[in-house]
Order: sequence, then structure tokens, then C-alpha cells
Amino acid sequence: MTPAIFNSRAWYRYRSEPLAVFGLGLLTVIVLLAVLAPVLTPYPDHAGRFVDFGNTSQPPSSRHWFGTDLVGRDVLTRVVYGYRISLMIGFVVLGLAAPLGVTLGLVAGYMGGRIEMIIMRVTDVFLAIPALVLAMAVLGVLERTLINGLLALAVLWWPWYTRMVYNQTRALRHEEFVVAAQVVGASHLHILFREILPNLLPSVLTKFTLDLGFVILVASALSFLGLGVEPPTPDLGSMVAEGASYQPDMWWLPVFPGLAILLVVLAFNLVGDGLRSMFGEGR
Amino acid sequence: MNLWRYFLGRLLGSLIVLVGVSILIFGVARLIPGDPARIAMGPMASAEQVELMRERLRLNEPVVVQYGGFVRDLLRGDLGISLYTKRPVTSDILSTLPATLELVIAAALIMTLIGVPLGVVAARYRNSGVDRAANLAALLGVVTPSFVWAIFLMLVFAFALDIFPIAGRVSRSAELPPTITSLLILDSAIAGMWPTVLDALRHIVLPAFALAMGGLGTAARLTRANMSEVYDRQYIQLARAFAYTEREIACKYALRPAMVPTLTILGLDFAIMLGNAFLVEMVFAWPGMARYGVEVIIRKDLNGIVGTVLVISAFFLIINMIIDIVVAYMNPRIRFQNR
Amino acid sequence: MKKTYGPLIAAATALLLSGYAAVAPLSAQTVLRLDEHAIGEIDPAKATDYADSIIFYNIYDTLVIPAAGGTDILPHLAESWSIDGQTYTFTLRDDVQFHSGNVMDSDDVAFSIERMMALGQGFSSLFAGVIDSVETPDARTVSITLTEPYAPFLGSLVRLAIVDKDAVLDNLAEGDYGDLGDYGQAYLTSTTAGTGAYTISSHNPQELTVMVKNANYFLGVPAEAPDTVELQYAIEPATLRALITRGELDIGDQWMAPEIKAAVSAEEGVSLGQVAGISSFYLKLNNQRPPLDDVHCRRAFALAYDYDAILEQTQVTEEIAFGRRAHGPLPLGVLGSDENIPAGRFDLDAAKAELEQCQYDPGEHEIQLNWVAGNPIQERIQLMMQLNLGELGYDTTITTTPWAMFTELAATAERTPHVSPVNFILTTPDPDSMLFTMYHSDAVGTWASVDWVMNEEVDGMIEAGRTETDPATRAAIYRDLGNKLVEDQVSIFAYELVGVFPIREVVHVPALQDEGRTYAVQGMNFMFREMTMN
Repeated sequence: MTPAIFNSRAWYRYRSEPLAVFGLGLLTVIVLLAVLAPVLTPYPDHAGRFVDFGNTSQPPSSRHWFGTDLVGRDVLTRVVYGYRISLMIGFVVLGLAAPLGVTLGLVAGYMGGRIEMIIMRVTDVFLAIPALVLAMAVLGVLERTLINGLLALAVLWWPWYTRMVYNQTRALRHEEFVVAAQVVGASHLHILFREILPNLLPSVLTKFTLDLGFVILVASALSFLGLGVEPPTPDLGSMVAEGASYQPDMWWLPVFPGLAILLVVLAFNLVGDGLRSMFGEGR
Repeated sequence: MNLWRYFLGRLLGSLIVLVGVSILIFGVARLIPGDPARIAMGPMASAEQVELMRERLRLNEPVVVQYGGFVRDLLRGDLGISLYTKRPVTSDILSTLPATLELVIAAALIMTLIGVPLGVVAARYRNSGVDRAANLAALLGVVTPSFVWAIFLMLVFAFALDIFPIAGRVSRSAELPPTITSLLILDSAIAGMWPTVLDALRHIVLPAFALAMGGLGTAARLTRANMSEVYDRQYIQLARAFAYTEREIACKYALRPAMVPTLTILGLDFAIMLGNAFLVEMVFAWPGMARYGVEVIIRKDLNGIVGTVLVISAFFLIINMIIDIVVAYMNPRIRFQNR
Repeated sequence: MKKTYGPLIAAATALLLSGYAAVAPLSAQTVLRLDEHAIGEIDPAKATDYADSIIFYNIYDTLVIPAAGGTDILPHLAESWSIDGQTYTFTLRDDVQFHSGNVMDSDDVAFSIERMMALGQGFSSLFAGVIDSVETPDARTVSITLTEPYAPFLGSLVRLAIVDKDAVLDNLAEGDYGDLGDYGQAYLTSTTAGTGAYTISSHNPQELTVMVKNANYFLGVPAEAPDTVELQYAIEPATLRALITRGELDIGDQWMAPEIKAAVSAEEGVSLGQVAGISSFYLKLNNQRPPLDDVHCRRAFALAYDYDAILEQTQVTEEIAFGRRAHGPLPLGVLGSDENIPAGRFDLDAAKAELEQCQYDPGEHEIQLNWVAGNPIQERIQLMMQLNLGELGYDTTITTTPWAMFTELAATAERTPHVSPVNFILTTPDPDSMLFTMYHSDAVGTWASVDWVMNEEVDGMIEAGRTETDPATRAAIYRDLGNKLVEDQVSIFAYELVGVFPIREVVHVPALQDEGRTYAVQGMNFMFREMTMN
């Protein structure tokens, strides 16, 4: 962000929403934690190859705020490192899905005709399968690697962008500035990406922010079902799943990673809501 | 264009989508690396036995031929034999689907009966402390994964406070009613077996809440947003001027128009719940489709995967069709819009 | 419209929260509830897994049965037998009825053998190429002629269930076996056609199998034995723990995590039962896949396994552990086992010295460490291996594989992971069932043989053990074989597995709770007719 934005009207509107400001603060803390994990966490080596059979399953204490897990690793450290994976998954998945979905939505909404029908029918098909079930099916079929997990999530996420952008593009298709561009002979490409797309960016950006949270949520659900990244990589969903087996005796194993997921999704949601009101949509 | 033609159009559209879903999921299932026939026959089976199974699954034929055979069987209501349970997929699904439906229906009820009133209250007292609290509560519902809700609820209400059962659909010792609707609570009520009804209700509370929390938040936030918009309209001011009570205004003038977009979103939430039911069922050992779904996926049971996904999608499409029609009925303008 | 629902809601809520307990048990019948991981098959010609075996030994009977606490073979459906060279002649009891009421005779025995061999699944491999002919001179006599001397034959018969020929023939479905249709596969996958002490009253392979007493059992079933048995599948660990604590489940399974077993055994009315000496736990090394095709690399891996640390991890309570120090491939007590076969030791310096002699550098291969989903102890062991192999310079990945997928990976040496943890429980009382299945070249391609030994010398010794009929000589052969397998370090012999089961006081299980009552066969320790409910 350039400093200029902090003086803008938009920022003023954002700032007037206390929850949005809180969300931005929370998000900043989470991102900082994730980035500076090697410096900030008490036992950085516990995030990787590490076992200490002499220190397993310790309840929260001053040495281990979130307790230790079944092979003696510090849960706090692993939760913070878990944020790294979560954030990475969120950005990579949407980095793939959003541009694809937006492009298809633009094309379908602008071109109309057979192209529109084909794209939107395919979109309908994808949207007719509950996201989690589709991701499970795709992941179940492929080898379980991180890359495949990212692909599976991207595959199920693009249609949402297509549908949103399609609806908005259709509304804009006959607007004066589009017609004017057509009249002066601008190329389709120019009209799509230079004339129409900029008008959609606020809503795409808002959705992107909100979705970052939800991608993390769905990814954690997949890990919870045993379709996540492999050990010893710290992964919040897998940690909840593994810890859930040891309820209620070792409650700290599922509870802290669960709270961590909640907080990061909350942060993205609040920021997304803030952006929405900043761009003047809804109230 | 009348409602009937609108309905037919929607039905046709849904059918086309369902065909698309079947092609998509059939294709995905055929991508499976490794040998599904070998997995199905188990480690001790001889090579001839595996080959026999491969023939039976039509695995030696081109994918298009396989799909043709699949559609022919499907039209006869046959989804093939599950490689995991060795029983017809149709009967596997039919035996587990009612439990899932019961759970999802309970969750949908909770979501509507708590979420909408919460939104109404928030809209009425906009920007007050009540509104902010409701907003935050709704937000927490949305941002917490349903399996985390499930585990938190289980830890607190089943383990720590011990007021609800930990798992299952009904106590082992409970007397079971004759099957009429396959929905246990309903069947028990029909049979007048109140102890069983109560027992089943106690079992369904935690999983249903865990499943409903996300949708509950959405429903509340949406109701609030839509009602706020209506509240700004002049006729509400007018109603106020005519000294209608606030409750009457909320119920008569603000809630009804606000219900239309809310209903639409609830339809989408239903789909999300069908997916999330997988997670909640796993935590609470609910005897629904989840364990079956997860098992068939893990075991690369071709027929099981295709059947499960197809049935869930069909349900999703049907629910959305119903909701679209209800919405069209409530708001005739929609019928004339070109979808 | 000023209706008030407040009191009504409050009343309903109060009722809901009251812990409604009026759901009383139906009658004074005793019900035993236990759980197992997952069911594979109840068709006796296909059953192999643990849960399969539990059901198998309750709904079917076999010609012979092993003695409790030993490896002797005793009469069962056959009241006696004689051995003449390679021909075994059995005289059948004449007082045995199937669940259908049909009387069991020699035709049923011949049919059971034919059916098992025709289906070619389950434990048919025990008899493949071994049985030359089956003759039934009269209704009470069966003589089986073998193609060659086969010492494990009698022991293998504990895996041959005698099925009701007429019942099966009455219930054929369409199938690939001509006149015999599906050979009764659909029928026997859902119900029983046996003679066992229990019959199946309902069977849902995803959830629950319910068995009830067979009043006509030929040995009689004591009144104290459970009237009804509910075998539940795939219960989540936390649920399982709660069910046992609250008395809603009577016997847990041996795969529960040690922490959970410890937690439940600390509860009132719960104790731990155990089965020792019939099973072992291995980290199987893929002998065909570089760098583990070099014995020095294999030895380095075995020296990187921290035996003592893991044994400590297997400690459930101060007295009871599910692991004991392993001496070679066979659990102590089995024919051919020997305490003098050296146990493994943890020594990273020695491992480095072995690596010096290995033809591969650690950097050349990425090592795949596998563990089977649902076995938390395996994950911990692989995390430990990852750490220690890292010290040796190996780059490793840990993969989690569901059991069904693991059996599929095991089909080829190329896809079999470098290191795979495997529990093996004796499937017949004869050590051959362990050694042949795991280490003979003809048995490769299954989950049990993921070491891919493929060594002619090893094959020769296993075959010698099969054809030799003198027990003392056989024991010597297996001892030599054990020493060779350790010398070649085909696997890491991690620990002897002790089955540890949480058991509630309401039931007494002699095979798990009394000294010297253990059967040396997987699943047989759960014969419900031996249990007493109080």
C-alpha cells in the first residue's frame, strides 16, 4: 500500500468500521507471525524433523503455552508454522482460480451466444457439486501431494468467480463506455481487460479477500479428513484431526489449532467486509 | 410465462447439469492411478480373479463405452456394485442417506429458526450493542469450520458437562420404530415412541448445531442486511407514522421482502451443509453417508465415488429448484427475467 | 397474537437436558459389545483380516483346532485322523448340524475345499498346489491326498471353514462359475452357512455385525456366554474411549493409541487383557529398491532405529506394554523361535560405518517412509526414523496410506515404499504361515511381503521347513532361517507385538485374561462361547 491511500476517502471509510480495523490488525499480527515464525516461536526446530519421546503430551505450561503433542513437539510453534502453510495455500489456490474464473466470466458475459452457454453450463456443473465433496473426490483419486491438493482446491474455486464476473459483465455489456469503445474499433481484448475489468476489480478484490479465509477453511477440512499435507509439515486441519482422537484427556491438541483456524478466517472476513463497505457496496 | 413453464424450464436445466455432473465425476473416477480391480479383490486374490473383476467393471474398454454402460445401468436405478462393501451402491446409499438427511434437515431448521430472528433483531436495533453482538456471533458462526464447532461442542457439552451423548444417532438400548420415512425422529413420533424420540433428539442436538452454525451466521447477517435496506424505504416510515408497533412493522413489512434473497442463499447453504455433514458425521460417528463417502474415496471405489457424488449433487439441484420456485412464487418478477 | 412459548420451550429443554434414562434394556439377555477396525469379508473363503477372523471362528468351525496355550492340533469337527504318507484321512463327528439344520457330512467338507480353491482368494494360498485330491468314501470319512509332504497342512486346516453345501447351492446367484453361478458369494457375504456357536442376525459391513447364540451347537454353548454379541466397526478413538468409560462398550481393540488405553484402564471397572507370543511388528525394508538392495544400507537403517525408545513408547501402564524385545522374525514361543537370535541395537556411529560400505551415498535417493492411516504409533516411529536417517544424511518423506491403498502399493516392488511398518499376527499355528507369507518369493506382492526378499537361499530354507515333518528338525531349520534373515537385515525386527485390549469387568475373556489360554491364531482368542458375562 502506498501512503497516499491512508489519506484517501476510502481509507477513511474503512477506518470508520471498528471491526474492519480490528480484522486488519489481527491479519497483520497473523501474517507477521507466519513470516517471522523462525524468530518468534520458542522452538522453531519443532516445526520440522523433531521428536522428543521424553516430553510427550504435556499440558499447557509456562514452557509450552499450548502444551506438547504426542511426539513431544511444542504445539504453539507448530500452530504458528501452520499459518505459513495455510496462507500459502490460500494465496496459491486463489492465484490460480481467480484469474481463470474472472477471465472465463468476462468472456462469457461479453461474448454471449454459444460461448456463453458452454462456459456457464460447465460452471453450473461445477457449482452443483458441494465444494468439499468435489475436492475430496479429486484428491482421493490423485496422489496425495501438496501440489495436487492446491490444484483440487483451485478446480473447485474458479466457478464462483466466473459466475460473479459473468453477472456483472452482462450488466455492463451495454453501458455507454463499452459501446463507445466498440464504436471507435477497440479490440475485444482491450474492451474486456481495459474497459470492463477495472470496473469489476473492487468486487473481485473483496471476494478474493473473503475467499482467502474460506479457502483456508476448506483446506483445513480436507486435512481433517486425512487428505492434507504429509507429516511432519505442521498443518492446522491435520493437527485438529489428530488431536480430536485424544479428547478429552488432551484437549489442547485440537483446541488451539482449531482456534487458530477460526482466527485467520475471521481476520480475512473482517477485512473483506471492510473492503466491501470501503468500495461502497452494501452497508 | 406461467409458473408451470418456469418449473419445466428449471427441471430441464437441472437435468442437463446433472448429466454434466455425471460426465465430470465419471471422468474423475476413471483417472484413478493404480488398479481398482486389484484393490477391490484384496491382497490374496489370484491374477485371474482380478482380471475377472476388471472385465466386470468394463475397465478393459474405452472410457466412452464404459460411460455408456454406466448410463444404461443408471437408468435402471443400478449404480453398480461397491468395490468396498461388495453390495449394490444404491442400497449402500439408501441405507445411509436418511440419517444424513435427518441431520441436515435439523440443521436447516436450527439455522432458519435462530438465524432469521437474530437478523431481525439486529436490523431492528441497527448499530446498537445488540446488533454488534449479533453480528459478531454470526461472524463466529461463519468463520469457524464445522468440524471445529463439532469438537468444541463435544468437548464442552458431551465430555465436560456431560449433558448430551457423545456419538451416534440413538442409544443402543432404545427401542426402534418401524421404518416409514426412514427419518428416525419422525418415525418414532409416528409410532408414538416418545422415549425414543427424546433419545434421538438428545443425540441430534450437538451435531445439528455444529452443522448449522455456519449457515446460522449467514442467515442472520443476510436477514439483517436485507431488512435494513427495507427499513430505509419510505413506506416503513409511513407505517411508523401510523403508529404500527415495531413488531408489526418487522413482521409485516420488513421481513417478507427480505426473505426472498435470504431464501436463495439458504439454498446454497444447504449444499454447503451437505458437504460439511461429512465432517460433522465423522466427529459424532453419525451413521450417515459420510463414513461411506470417505471410505469409498480412500479405497478408490469407482462405483461408490460416482454414486455418492451423483446423489449428493442431485439433492443439491432438487433443493435449489424447489427454492427457486418458491422464490418465483413469492416474487413474480423473477419468472420473467431471462436466467 | 400474544402467545408465549417461553414455558413450553423451557420445559422441553429441561426434559432434553435431564439425561433421560427411561430407555431401559429390553430383557435380561446378556449383550457383549466390542469393536474392531474394519471388516473385510465374512465369506469364509475370502476372510483374512482381524475382524473377519473374529467372526469366522464364531460362525464357522474347522476340522481341527489348536490347543489353547500351545501349538498342538486337536480334533474338532473331525473326531480323529490318520496320516499315511501324503494322505490324511479324517473321521468326522456325526452329531454336527449346520445352522440350517442340515447334518454335516463329508460332502460338505469336499465342497468347502472345492469352493475355496475355485474362488482363489483369502487363505486359499495355504493350499494352492498342495492338495492333489479329495475323496469321500462315506459320509463320515474324508481323505485328502497332498502333492508333496507339507508339514503345515494340519495347522493350515484351521483356516478351512466347513460350509453347508446344500444351503449354498440353494442360494446361488448369477456368476462366473457355470452351473454354480456365483458359488454363493453374494449369499455368504451377507450371512452364514456354518456350524458355529453363533449365527449372524444382522450384518452391515460399515457399522455393525450382530451375532446370536446357536442353541444347537454341537459342543453346546454355556449359559454364561453372551446371548448376543455386537461387533462394531471403525469407531472414532475419542468416541471409543467414552463408550468404554461409560460402559457402553465392553472390549476395545488392540489398535487404540497407548495414551487412550492408559486413560480407559485407569477408569473404574476396566482392565487390560493381553495376547502375547503370536505377533510381531516389523519395519519392512524394500530389498529390491535402491539403496536398500544393498545389505549395508539395510543394516545402517536397522542401526538407526531406536529400539529402547520405541519399547518405552509401547508401555501402556507400568506393568503392561504392547511391545517386547524382538529376537528375529518369529515371536518367542513359536516353533523355531530362539532367544539367542540377536536383538537389534541402536547405534548411529555403527550405522555410519555400515553406510561407508554401502555402494550408494545417502544423497542419491530420497527415502519414502510409509505409515498406515489410523495407526498413530506408526507415525511416531516414522518421525523418529526420519530424524535419525536425517543424521545419516538421508532425505526422507513420510507418506500416510490408508490400508486399502497400502495393499495395492504392495503389488509391485517399484511402488512399494522403502520402509513400511507391518504388524503380522500368526494366521495358523504354524510358523510357516508367517515365514512363507512374508519372505518366500512365491508370496511377494502382498502387504505382508513388502520386503521383497526374493532370495533363493531363503526360499530353499522355507521349503525345507515345509517338507520336513520332524518338529525338532523343523525348529532347527527355522532357527537358521531366523539368523540368516537377521544377518541379511531383510527387515527391521522392531518389536514383538503384544495385543493389549481394554476389557470391562462385565465380561471375562479367558484367552485374554488367564495365563496359558491364548490361541496362536489371529482372531481365535475372541471365541465368544468361551467368554462369561456377569
